[in-house]
Amino acid sequence: MSEASIDSEPLLDCAPAIEALTREDVLRATDRLNVQKSRAAKSPLRLLWLLSGPGILVMIGENDGPSMVSYATTGATYGIGFFAPFILLTFLMAFVVQEMAVRVGVATHRGHADLIFQRFGPFWGYFAMGDLVFGNLLTLVTEFIAIQAGGLYFGVPAWLSVAGGVVVVIGSLAFRRYATWERALMGLAAFNLLFVPAALMAHPDPQALGRAFATWGPLPGGVSASFLTLLLANIGATVTPWMIFFQQSAVVDKGLTAADMPQSRADTGIGAVLAAVAAIATLVATAPLFVAKADVSQFANGADFATALAPLIGPTGATLFALGILEAGLVAAMTISTSSSYALAETMSAARMAGTAHSLNLDFAQGKLFYGAAIVSTILAAGVVLIPGAPLLAMTLTVNVIATLLMAPALLLLLLLANDREIMGELANGRLGNLTGGAIVIAISVVGAVYGAMTAFPGLLGK
Amino acid sequence: MDALEPGQLVSATRRPLPRRALSQGILALLWGLRIYVLIAIPVVVYAFVQALLTPQ
Repeated sequence: MSEASIDSEPLLDCAPAIEALTREDVLRATDRLNVQKSRAAKSPLRLLWLLSGPGILVMIGENDGPSMVSYATTGATYGIGFFAPFILLTFLMAFVVQEMAVRVGVATHRGHADLIFQRFGPFWGYFAMGDLVFGNLLTLVTEFIAIQAGGLYFGVPAWLSVAGGVVVVIGSLAFRRYATWERALMGLAAFNLLFVPAALMAHPDPQALGRAFATWGPLPGGVSASFLTLLLANIGATVTPWMIFFQQSAVVDKGLTAADMPQSRADTGIGAVLAAVAAIATLVATAPLFVAKADVSQFANGADFATALAPLIGPTGATLFALGILEAGLVAAMTISTSSSYALAETMSAARMAGTAHSLNLDFAQGKLFYGAAIVSTILAAGVVLIPGAPLLAMTLTVNVIATLLMAPALLLLLLLANDREIMGELANGRLGNLTGGAIVIAISVVGAVYGAMTAFPGLLGK
Repeated sequence: MDALEPGQLVSATRRPLPRRALSQGILALLWGLRIYVLIAIPVVVYAFVQALLTPQ
């Protein structure tokens, strides 16, 4: 097709469906038929249930192994004062960013990597994909560290926990059906709320919790470099590039349309609330370590926190905490490996390469690259964790630097796409959307750059 | 297949989109981003090497 002929047609209008229908088309149409029936029957709760998924999964997925350790460190260092409302604020920011990604997905029916390549050219297309896939690979290593740590708490050998994690992640792809994969993952993600009963076993003072939300305090020790580091780490634990790529592609794979925006917003909002509740619960569960003045500076993973919490909140609470860490690593491994698959296959598809179909509705034969990317990255990450003496700490630190330093390009490209009226039509950002979205994008980009620099150069702000 | 919007068909999503016509402001922003990326990548490499050299 010549460029002139492309230009003469509406950008997102479609040619008559003269090509053969694919398995992907048929399965997506089946899901949409259920949505249409539910809408016609005026059944709002069933409609919400059918259209939910990407938002809940992306938010709970971001409550991953390293994030929960970050929240636990915060609770053990500062208690529940300032950080309880602050975590809620970070999830509000995440909601604004992810809502933009959803809108871009339903307006264009294309994934994030695909759109970046096509609208901004190969440089940004390959850069965004390469940055994401490499960063995701390192993040997957940290998820398997969490899975391994959760298992070790229960006396399960490291190799067995990691192998179990690999089987679950790869096994979920065998559904070859987006809807089934999504529901199975949502069932697993529900275990993120195990941190809530763990928090209740810490017997938090409801008045102190209420005061924290009302006054954003207390903040023991005041503002210091370590406080700023935890502040930035908490922001980094809530908004990351893979979330944008995952949710936009998942929205497209699920077949959501502009008519589904109210439910999609609700899905993202519910996800943000559930993830915030689990994150704040982690803070509350580990607050007894703050009261006991425990030194958590040498804690390497979630299992260390669970072990230290056992005498303070009881063995049941500690067990729930360790299970929560295991779940956090497992669900994140599934969502993050899938976001790599979407980004890689979409970019290659945009570059007009063959065999680059990208959907969880594909057969293995048609989705060799798509499924292969998730399988290979999962096996690689799991293998690295099991190598004796592997530089796991170095990788964890590098994950933080990559995710935060390179957040700025991901967010700015999202903002530009959400303002691209040629492809967004009426769903493009309005003035208010640009003000709030723009302010959040700038704030997160600056904070991300500062945190990345602080992690790379630890002495930057003194002690 | 009527349940799908025409733009949702795989054949439609495979159609190429033209490059966006970028204003001077956006071009400047993207060049700024390129420079930022060129600075950020060595920082990532430095952080990784430093972490590798630090005893665990």
